Formats: sequence, C-alpha cells, structure tokens
Amino acid sequence: MRYTDFTVHDILLLLQGAGVSVALFAATTAIGLMIGLTWAVLRYYRTPVLAPFFAAMAELLKNSPVLVQLFLVFFGLPVLLETDITPVQAAVITLSGNTAAFIYVIAVSAIESIGREQLETARVFGLSRWQILRKVVAPQAAAFGLGPLTGLLVNQLQVTSLISVIGVLDLTKVGAILNLRTLKPFIVWTVVGLLYYLMAKLIATTCARLETRLRAHSQWKGL
Amino acid sequence: MIEIEGVGKSFGQTKVLDGVNLRVAPGEVVSILGASGSGKSTLIRCINGLEKLDNGSISIDGFRVDDPKQLQQARRCSGTVFQLFHLYPHMTALQNITLAPVEVLKVPRREAEDAARELLASVGLSERAEAYPAQLSGGQRQRVGICRALAMKPRYLLLDEVTSALDPEMTAEVLDILAKLAAAGTTMLFVTHEIDFARQISSRIVFLEQGRLLADLPTAEFFAADGGLAHPRIAQFLSKMKKDH
Repeated sequence: MRYTDFTVHDILLLLQGAGVSVALFAATTAIGLMIGLTWAVLRYYRTPVLAPFFAAMAELLKNSPVLVQLFLVFFGLPVLLETDITPVQAAVITLSGNTAAFIYVIAVSAIESIGREQLETARVFGLSRWQILRKVVAPQAAAFGLGPLTGLLVNQLQVTSLISVIGVLDLTKVGAILNLRTLKPFIVWTVVGLLYYLMAKLIATTCARLETRLRAHSQWKGL
Repeated sequence: MIEIEGVGKSFGQTKVLDGVNLRVAPGEVVSILGASGSGKSTLIRCINGLEKLDNGSISIDGFRVDDPKQLQQARRCSGTVFQLFHLYPHMTALQNITLAPVEVLKVPRREAEDAARELLASVGLSERAEAYPAQLSGGQRQRVGICRALAMKPRYLLLDEVTSALDPEMTAEVLDILAKLAAAGTTMLFVTHEIDFARQISSRIVFLEQGRLLADLPTAEFFAADGGLAHPRIAQFLSKMKKDH
C-alpha cells in the first residue's frame, strides 16, 4: 500500500471532523440564540443604556469579517487579558457572538412585524407587556423569523470552516490534512463539500418542517 | 358610569376632540353618530386608554383612565369590539376568547373554555371554536370579537364601527347579536353608521362633528323635527345617509 492511498480510517477521520463542525455549530447556535434573543427582549422593553449598547455591539459584530473577529479573539484577547485561550474556546466565543448579532437583527424585525393593532388590542384587554410578548408576539414572530433564521444557520454552518485556520480539527481541517497526504485535492474537497451540503440540507429541512407547523394557523381549511 | 369631561385631543395641528362631555350610565345604550373623521373612533380609543388626553378627564366607575395607576382597573370595566376585528391570527376562536380571562383574570383554563364555548354557542358559532380567524368569514370573525369582549364580563361594551367592514348580510348577523345584548340590558357605547339600527336599540344618540358634541338627546327626540333635526348639520347628515341606503 502506498502512503498516498485512501484508507478506511480516512472515513472515520472525516466523520470525526464533521462531528467537531456540527458540535461547534450546535453550541454556538444555542449560545447565539440565547444572547441574541436576550438583546432583542431588552430592546422590546426599551431598556435604557443596555438596549442601545447591545444594538451597537450587534452592529459592530455583523459588519466586520468573522475571520478578523476570530484573529482578534484568538491572538488579541490572550495578550490583553494575559491568559491562554484554546482554539476551541476562541472559536466558540467568536462564532457565538457573530451568530448572536444576526439573530438579534432577525428577532427585532420579527417582533416589529407584529401589527400595532394586535398589541393595542392585547393592552386594552389588560395584558401586561410580558404576557403580550409571550402569548401574542413570540408565537407569530417565531413563524416570521424562521425563514431568515434558516438562511442564517445554513450560512453559519459554512462559517465554522474558518476556525480551521487557528487549528481546530473540524471538517475543513481534516480535508486539508487528507489533501496534503494523498495529493488528490479534487476528490478530497468534493467529499468535504458534499458532507457540508448534507448537513446544511438537514438544517434547512428541519427548519422548513418547523415553519409549516408554526404557520398552521394561516393555512386555509375552508369555511 | 362612564364620565367623560372636557376631553380634548389633537393630532399635530388637527383638533380631533374638542371639549367633549358625555356620561353613560349602566343600562344605557348610547349611539355615537357622525361623519368619518368627526372623532368617533378617537373618542373610543380615549375611553379604553389607547390615546393620551390633551385636556379633560375620563373615568369608568370611578377609575381614572388618564391616571396610569388606575388605567388597568378602568380597562377591566369595559370591553372593546373593533372595526377590523383585530383577532389574534395565530389563535383559534376559542383561544382568542380565553386569552384575557386566563391571563388577566386568572380564571382556570377549563372554566374559561366552558364559558367561551357557551358564548360561541350564543352567537351561533359552536362548531367553529377550533377554527383560526383566517378560516372564518368576516361576520363570524366579528362575532368571535364580540365573544372575546364579553368573556371579560365588562360592565360597558365599547363598539367601534363593528359592522363597517362587513357586507349587508354579515352586518345583519352581527346587529342581531347586538340587539339581543341591548335587550338583555348590556350597557353599550356604540359608534356606528347604521342609523336605522341605532334608532332601534339606543336610549340616547350623540352626534359628533369635528370633535365637538353637536347633540346628546334621547333617541326619539334626536329624530324629532323640533329636536335633533332642527339642527341643520344633523338634518343634512341624516338625509344624506338615507339617500345612500
């Protein structure tokens, strides 16, 4: 067997890389959702100081390249704080923040899509701002925001490939390693690309199903 | 008692309400007539606290609408039905009706649902409890809107042109229900363009013109030649509405 041949172990290596990509994607999506939605709720309550502060923060995060943010966190933060930071930590911090910024934007526009008259009606019936958010705004905003959210998540999955440059062993990094060993870039990158495609497709399908369920109320079922 | 005293409201340069005084006692049905833009809807929005007053005061059973601390209690006394229904589109008819009783009055869900089903039955919609607003006709939506207001057991029912978005047949559906409510002694403040109907059910009729009350008369007197009709603007309005019919 020649050194440059593919082996069965390469499949395991690829799956391992895919696992790292998925885990990072899932973790940063969960954290990003929590942070982004919290910022949006602060804005809904027109919280002084905090709401404008996080709006500016989201503005900064979504208008600068993720790779630059990653370098800032991985190389810059340790110098500033005089600590060590692992590639995985840097990746989680950067991607979570970036996802949060875009989720904030989606959540804000979703909340604002709810007609003023509905909010007024709920107020007239004596519902508190929190009750209105939970019962009237959130269910409809979720249905409204899921489309843009799907686009964002599919994109964020691809963005995880950037973390390979700071040495995280994700799918792209595994691809790079296999490519260097086998010197068959066309095959290696096709397989890696297909794996990303499958994962993205899975995200999109899941979201589409969920959206259909959330929009059940607007489906015409006849009088 | 709904007490409206010297209420004024402007949007920019436009005076929408100008020194309006009005009292509605329990058991009365008071219709508000007037051309579009005369301030009728704004008056309703002032009573349920959706607009800040520029002058004057409004209180419902002693609770001041213009005092933020009393607004919540004032709102509990009245129920509003809107011209464009304003049902929550993501909730079924039943959920639309039970939302406020469960969340605000803390009625147990079961109890609230039973009450809502009874209300739906009383307006002939028992079969449509699980339907979403998008699956209902305009008349059905407005009947759900009326049930939603009644579910809060309001002492006063505020009706803001509740049939203006409906065709004649659906209008009849809704007016039928309002006539029953009036006969049952429900207190209503009724903004409308349905003059004949207002004449049938109202104890009093109020006429608004450019934000001012031109007349506030018992129904018979309002339509009498030496009463409301003696006022040229009212006579003109009524004859115009008749012609449109």
